[in-house]
This record gives sequence, C-alpha cells and structure tokens, in this order.
Amino acid sequence: MIKIDHLSVAFDGTEVVKNVTIEIGDGEIVGVVGESGSGKSVTALTLMGLVAEDAVLTSGRILFDDVVLAEAGKTRDKALYQKYQGDEMTMIFQEPMTSLNPTKRVGAQVEEVLKLHTKLSKEEMKEKVLKTFASVGLKDTKKVYDSYPHQLSGGMRQRVMIAMAIILKPKLLVADEPTTALDVTIQNQIIALLKEINEKQKNAMLFITHDLNLARRLCHRIVVMKDGCIVEQGETKQIYEAPKEAYTRRLMEAVPSRIPKKVPRVSGEEILRVEHLDVYYPAGSNSLFARKEKNHVVKDAGFTLHKGEVLGLVGESGCGKTSLSKAILGMNRDVTGVISHDTVRPQMIFQDPYSSLNPTKTIGWLLEEPLRAAGKLDKSLAMTKEDRRAMVYEMLKKIDLKESYYDRKPSQLSGGQRQRVSIGQALITKPGFIVADEPVSALDVTIQAQIMELMQQFQEEMQLSYLFISHDINVVYRMCDRVMVMKDGRIIETGDTQEIFDHPKEEYTKLLLLNS
Amino acid sequence: MKYICKKIITLIMTLFLVSAAAFLAFQVIPGDVVTSILGTEATPEMEELLREELGLNDPPVERYMNWVSGVLKGDLGVSYRYSKSMNERMPVAELIGDKLPVTLWLAFYSLILIIVISIPLGVLWARSKNHYLDAALNVISQTAMAVPAFFLGILVTYLFGIILKCFTPGGYVSYREDFAGFMHYLLFPAISIAIPKIAMTARFLRNSMLTEMRSDYVRTAYSKGCTNRRVMYAHVLRNALMPVVTFLGMIIAETIAGSIVVEQVFGLPGVGRLLISSISTRDFPVVEILVLYITSVVIIVYALIDILYRMIDPRISSK
Repeated sequence: MIKIDHLSVAFDGTEVVKNVTIEIGDGEIVGVVGESGSGKSVTALTLMGLVAEDAVLTSGRILFDDVVLAEAGKTRDKALYQKYQGDEMTMIFQEPMTSLNPTKRVGAQVEEVLKLHTKLSKEEMKEKVLKTFASVGLKDTKKVYDSYPHQLSGGMRQRVMIAMAIILKPKLLVADEPTTALDVTIQNQIIALLKEINEKQKNAMLFITHDLNLARRLCHRIVVMKDGCIVEQGETKQIYEAPKEAYTRRLMEAVPSRIPKKVPRVSGEEILRVEHLDVYYPAGSNSLFARKEKNHVVKDAGFTLHKGEVLGLVGESGCGKTSLSKAILGMNRDVTGVISHDTVRPQMIFQDPYSSLNPTKTIGWLLEEPLRAAGKLDKSLAMTKEDRRAMVYEMLKKIDLKESYYDRKPSQLSGGQRQRVSIGQALITKPGFIVADEPVSALDVTIQAQIMELMQQFQEEMQLSYLFISHDINVVYRMCDRVMVMKDGRIIETGDTQEIFDHPKEEYTKLLLLNS
Repeated sequence: MKYICKKIITLIMTLFLVSAAAFLAFQVIPGDVVTSILGTEATPEMEELLREELGLNDPPVERYMNWVSGVLKGDLGVSYRYSKSMNERMPVAELIGDKLPVTLWLAFYSLILIIVISIPLGVLWARSKNHYLDAALNVISQTAMAVPAFFLGILVTYLFGIILKCFTPGGYVSYREDFAGFMHYLLFPAISIAIPKIAMTARFLRNSMLTEMRSDYVRTAYSKGCTNRRVMYAHVLRNALMPVVTFLGMIIAETIAGSIVVEQVFGLPGVGRLLISSISTRDFPVVEILVLYITSVVIIVYALIDILYRMIDPRISSK
C-alpha cells in the first residue's frame, strides 16, 4: 500500500500542497481531480521523488509499503528513490512528444529501464521490450523499436511511454494527465489500455486529471483538490451522485456536457464565402536546386458564414483546421481558390493566452495595438491617444476587467483573464467576424464556461459571427449553430449542429461523437 | 549522393563569384604591384618591361578570363613577388603548398585541444552545484574570452617560453627538417588559439545543457531511476551539443582559414601571414588562390557540420 501522509510542500516559503493524505491500495485506481494550480501535479511529483529541488516538505511523509521514502525535515534520499523509480513506481506524463528524448530511438529508451534495474542479457532485454510493446497495443513492434519519437504518432508515443512504465510491473503507476494532449479517439484507447493494465497487473494507480468525465470512467475513488487542499474524497459513485462540497458540484456543472446553445440563431446576410480553397505549403528545402512541390493541407474547402452565426469547425489535430483559419485571415498566402468578405481586418482569438500576448507590454498597450495598426493602414481610422485610451477602458469594462488592469502585464493575470484580453483585442476594432482557434482548450473547466458565456454575450450584442475551431465536441455543441467536420484537409460533412449530432452521416463523424 | 552533388555545384558557383569579387577589388583599390616590386627609384622603361612580363597591359576582363582558364586547367599561376630562382617566378601552387601544412597542423592541433577540453569542462560546469566553482569558471572564461589574441600569444610565449622554458620563442623548425620539433613548437601557438575558443565553447555548452535540463524528457529519465550522471551523459549531452556543433563549425572554418595574428606572433610561415603580405604587395595571383582556399574551407566545413548535425539529430533528415 502506498500512503501520502499529511503531506505539505512549499516553494519559497509558500505552501502549494497543504496537509494532503491519500492512500492507494493494490489494484486500486485513485483519481486526483482539480484545476491547474490545485497542487495535484506537485503532489504526484513529490510522491515520485521528482519534484524540483527547491521544493521543501514542510510536513508529512511518503510511505511505500512500510518504507519511508521521504519525510519532512530530512534531505531527499536520491539513492533510495532511484531503487524504486522505474522499477516499483513509474510515471506517465502529459506530453508524450517532449517526454521522450528526441535523439534516442524509443526501443533504447524503454530498454534503459531494464538496464537500470535488471541483469538481463541484451537479447532478453530486446525481447522483453518487443513483448511489452505488443501488450500495449503497438503493431509492427520491431519497426517501433528502431523509431525515433518524431516518427511516431501521438497515440503511439503515449503507448511507448506506457510500455516504459509497465515493463517491470510496478506496484505504483502515476499518470499525470496522460490523455490531455491526445485527440479524443486516441484518448479513449489509452484509457481502455490503462484499465486493462490495472486489471492484469493489479498496480495501484494514481490518475491525475482536470477532466471529471475521464476520472469517472476510470477511477475507483476520487480525490478533489483545490488550492493545495483536499476538498473532498470518496468512492467515485458517491462523489458523482451525492457530492458533499459546493466546489465539487461546481466542477461537475462546469463540464460542458452537451448543454444546448442558449443564444438564438440569427441568420443575416452572408459575410464570408470560401470556395474551392486549397492551402498548401511549398515542400522541400529552400535551396536553389530543390523542385518546388506543394504539400496540400486543405483541399477544396467551401462554406459560407452568415451574420450573427457561429460556425463550428471540428477535427483532430493535423486535419488542417488551423491552416484553413490562417488562410482566411490572410496569414498564409500559399492558397488557391476564393475567399471573399467585407471585413477590413478579420480578427483571431488564439488558443494559448500565455504565449499569444507579448509579456513585456501592458494590457492597455496590447488592447490599443489593433487600433494603432488599423490607423497606420488606413489614415481615416487613425485615432488620438485619448480616444484609444477611452476605447480600451470601455473594452475592459465589457470583458469584466477592472480599469486598474490597464497598467498590468500579462504575467500578473490568470489564464481566464488573459483570454478575456485576447477576446478584447479581437473585438476592439469591431470586425464583422472572428476566427476563434480553440479559444477555451487551454483553460480550466470553470473558466471555460465563463469565456464561452462572454463570447456568446458579444455575439448577441454585436451581431458577431464566429468561425469556431475546436476539437472538443461538447464545446462545439454548446457554441455553434452549424458544424463542419474536417478530416485530412477535406470538409467531409456540414450541417446544423442538432442535425449533425442526431444523425451524423459520415462514419468518421459518428466516431468523433461516440468518443466524447 | 544527391546531397553531395548539390553541395559541389554550390561550391563551384560560390568560388566563381568570390574570385570575380576579389579580382574586382584588386582593380579598385589603389596601389600598384610594379612599384611595390621595383620600388620608387625604377625608371619608366623598367616598369614597362615588368608590366609587359606580368601581362598587366592586357584589358582587365581578358586578364581575368586568362586566369580562370589557367585555374581550370590546374595552373594556379605564378607569384608576382616571389621568385624561385634568379630568372624564374615562384608558382603559386608551390608557394602555398609549402605554407599550407603549417596552418593545417596548427588548426588540427587547436581543434583537438578545443574539443577535448571544452566538452568535459562544459559538462562539469553545468553540473557544478557548487557556487564557488561556478563563479570561478565564470570569471576565468570571461577573462579568457576578453584577452586579445596577440596579447595572449605574448603571454603564452612569456610563460611557456621564457619562464618555464618549454620551447624556444622564435625557434620555429620546418616540418620538412624535424617533424617532432615542428609539432613541439606548434603546441604553444595552438594553445594561444585554443584558450579563448575553449572558454566560449564551454560556456556555450554549459548554457545549452542547463536549458536542456529543464526539458520534459529529463524528468522522464529521472522517473526511470537514472542517476544525475547518467541523465547528463546519456540524455542531455547529445541534445545540448546541437547548437554547440554549429558554433564549433564556425571556429573550425576560422582556424583552418589561418590565424593571422597567432602566426605573426609566433613567427609561423602559414597561409595567414602569406595572405597579409600578398595583399600589401598587391600579389594578385597569390591572393586570388588564398581567397579561393578560404572560401572552399568555409563551405566544405559547413557542409560537414550539416552532415554531422543530421547524424546527431534524427529529426532533421526526415523533414
């Protein structure tokens, strides 16, 4: 049995994990659910002995069977941990691409675990790796063995990570958001695989996630965390059917489970038309001698967007969603076909509010920038400094931020607040339509709901149209009037949201809906 | 194969452009080879005679074409300035062929020193949790980088030559006469070249490793039970070397092209010194060939680095 016993962890004197006690029995899957910053990852990393060196255990201890692995007031015993890590306790991480060493073949990376903890011969090791690859559902194991991480798909990489974690049948398996970076169809396969492993190997599992639906499908028991503390813990069924705490209820409500669209549909005139659009990238090197080839990412796309309408664009990563939106915004010139609209500058809301705002500028400056840019392009739109400032204050009010935020830097804002700024930036020049590229995917569930509401509010007030890109079916259901499904660069199905959800025609659409 | 062909065609085209540019530059800059050879006391008749002999009276385009066709046939021309005997001018090929080994050995020597010392030093530096070691290395590398090359040469001469008496300053022995003696003497100029480059490379590697240490795959390696040492050498080093390789490439190209200052300080008859003296005496055939040599070195070394890069990073070749 593994026990996290009254654990508190501090960085620079600030406690980020406070008095957390979690017990995990053999064969049991315990889910730790919470929003980012709730301390769930730090708890897991502390358990694994992988937390950053400047973290201090201020109270409690980590028990593995009866061995004390870490205890408050003692320096970390790395040698002791190294005996357990990879052998008795293993971990699967969120990003399988960056979590694997890009310059080593994956076979060798899995084999390293055996090298560190067993005395098998070279041939035995390879055989064991290939066997484990097969058991996690990898096909053509010999080829995978000799591949580098970038040659595998996201799902295959995560399977390699899982193979690495289970090859020595560990007593404890910690999975930190193992499916968050994957597409929905792959997500389900990975969850099923983890379940299967748990049944076969009877490992204790600690499953960290922000997604309550996922936790519900996999875990026996659930621990809800907030601000470093445990809010509630209990059997999965009890947590779902009779949550004791208000926060747990809020977390559950915030999950966008097929809530129908609130804003009524208004169908005005056509404001964007796309016909026979091909988007490609010139392939090959930029050398003088390379033949110029075209690498098509969007093929023969065609659709229209009406005033006041939200058009959803769904598909897995790499299907061409973002390339299509960039072409519409004019950020990609390698296109053929027709894109027609009256908007001077269509605007975009980006996925990641952390990296899409310049960290050295103030919020006020960032919000003014579109106005400045518009004024430079078209002298008739030029405004005085005072006018711009006034408009920014007005916008701050609209996006529910205090006026004092004018002088703050993006780093002083939370993720949700930054995404508000991002929306404000897109709206301040009053464009006819907005391309929203996964605007809520990087946000926590409770924040997601707020941002979606804000976007709908603007839609109603300003008769805005959105081209709304998402991989999250539930978010699309809640936001969109019509939906387009995209696969391998082609739009394979278009229709009213309700119609598509009730009667999908294409097999692929059915698969997408089934898996959410 | 296709890759090599492409690189060779690029090389030839670049060489053409560079040689034309060098020829053009010689037409433009003031100074006359004839006066520089004969001195200011020469009579106009003597000057005219020499001019005719060197072919300087032909129109420039014809002279360039003649030179190109000569080079294409393998005839690198004769030096204006150097003579082989009383009535025979020194062929450029022979002139450079004599000095090239000095520069190449010197470059080879310094590179070995740079690679062998800077890589372990960089790793050690990145691993040094000890505050004092880190600070000390910081100061030393700053100083090594800041000292000008000629002064460093003098310091090395003073320390190794005069105080420690490891070698005789100015006592250069030709590689034709005594190879062991030649290599012994060469060690000290090589040290002078290597010191600032070692400091730069080690610092660069250290920074690169510290950046890599924050990668996700490092955490994965620790989660497998790897020790610090194993994480550093088996995982981080290779990834951290990638930017360093580019940097080393620049250093290699620079060193093979000739270290003018160090050759001067240690009195080495290498191509760097030859280049300087040939430019000041307007010895056009020599300068042209040296320019071609330096250009080829830079392009070839960069191509090799490119290949090396592909070997270290599997992601590049598949793109």
